[in-house]
Amino acid sequence: MAEKPVKKNWRQRLTAWVDGEREFKDRSLFVMEQRSSVTFRRPTEEEHERREKHRLRWFLNRYPIGAGLLGLTLVAVLMAVVLTMPPFGQPDNPMHNEVAQRYLERGYEETGAENIVTAMILNYRGFDTLGESCVLFLAVAAVMILVLQDKKNTNKQDLAQRAREDTLLKSHQDTILKQAARILVPVLFLFAIYMLLNGERSPGGGFSGGTVLGAGLILSSLAFGAGRVQALLTRRVYSAVRTFGLLLYAGLYGVNIFLGANGLPNYLTGMTMLIDLAVGLVVACTIYGFFALFSRGEL
Amino acid sequence: MNLLEWILLFGLIVCAAAAPLCKRLLVTVIVYMAYSLLMALVWSILQSPDLAITEAAVGAGITSILFFLTLKKIHALKGTDDG
Amino acid sequence: MGRGNIMLETVLQNRYAVTAVILFGIGFLNVMLQQNLVKKVVGFNIMDAAVFLLLASLGYISGRVAPVVTEGAQAAQYINPIPSGLVLTGIVVSVSITAFSLALIQRIYQQYGTIDLRELRERTGKEDD
Repeated sequence: MAEKPVKKNWRQRLTAWVDGEREFKDRSLFVMEQRSSVTFRRPTEEEHERREKHRLRWFLNRYPIGAGLLGLTLVAVLMAVVLTMPPFGQPDNPMHNEVAQRYLERGYEETGAENIVTAMILNYRGFDTLGESCVLFLAVAAVMILVLQDKKNTNKQDLAQRAREDTLLKSHQDTILKQAARILVPVLFLFAIYMLLNGERSPGGGFSGGTVLGAGLILSSLAFGAGRVQALLTRRVYSAVRTFGLLLYAGLYGVNIFLGANGLPNYLTGMTMLIDLAVGLVVACTIYGFFALFSRGEL
Repeated sequence: MNLLEWILLFGLIVCAAAAPLCKRLLVTVIVYMAYSLLMALVWSILQSPDLAITEAAVGAGITSILFFLTLKKIHALKGTDDG
Repeated sequence: MGRGNIMLETVLQNRYAVTAVILFGIGFLNVMLQQNLVKKVVGFNIMDAAVFLLLASLGYISGRVAPVVTEGAQAAQYINPIPSGLVLTGIVVSVSITAFSLALIQRIYQQYGTIDLRELRERTGKEDD
């Protein structure tokens, strides 16, 4: 203890800290530790609890006022900023710079997509969308972790409840829903597939088409019973389609980048459509997966 | 056109303010659905049809279904068998 | 008077941005002040949509049409496609965030039997004892 610590300069100290060495303390500086342990009394459990409760109440009483003030201040600041923004809808705003100009002028010849929004999210900024597809993929995985009910983690009560609900649904014929779905579902699927395949020429594309496809799956699952859709989209098929979509996207976009990313050769002009299809599959599976997990707790 | 814009923007604010003030959670979610639908209309006015389609499918359809299923799971739907 | 008039004019001109700020404020207050978790999530969604509204309104140019290029047209006919693309991805991500938080709420209900923050605080406090 008497050993004098070697003075280090900040670099040596930083290196030591990174390496995980604990700094040698000059113990004589800490008066607390020299005191005998008797004088230092820990607060009893009750005291501690009472103090905690008091603090919590103090916090909870002031929290709404503080939060309200914070929110109003935020709105005031944002409003002040908004009022100094350039006027809405003017063509010479700083927002409309050469990037948008170029996308609009050269987008068609460079990507072969007439819908510039699709061209932008799938070609110019495809990595962004790839990351986002991964987000969707992970979201389904996270929800699955939280609410998936299979044989291992379901008790008998839940199973009985579910069986009761199933019989209730079977005996309960919802005529309006069924008839409406019979008309709507084919139209929905047709519209979704049209949007998926024609996303480069008209409004729509992977995200819109995928969500509509997912909505169609949800509607048919609600109207005709979950079993019908499940027979078509079993758990394995579902996982396969989802993964296939993501890998297809990654592969296609990788090829796109590898070939120089702009000025696609002639035989690859259908690329945007395929990428659109891949994104659509991922999105539709995500949407349907959320529904299936939320309603039945299984895929 | 301008009048429609004003009606939509006003409706957005009214829906957003009304949604969380409702007592029953079911009503809250339905008002939120209306908010999403108005948002889809606003986007078609702002000349972004891609957004309008997506928002109409997502906001008014899928998000609401997820909310309803959650309400069913937490037994917040009155007047159904779950009570 | 003159200053007030100018301010009013700015508000009227930037009506989308002003609406977006108001909606953002409503959503923010809901997220902070609601005691019910489902309503918090609704507030969060309102906030989401407000941000998207601000972004999408920035890309709009009055008198121009959606960016679907036809032959022989000039770039000066179309609105800015960049905000549309950004918002499009954002909408889909907001669904997954909503789904995740709703799944969390379901688990909380399974565990504690309530989704009200005050009751939740009491019940979690009891469990610690």
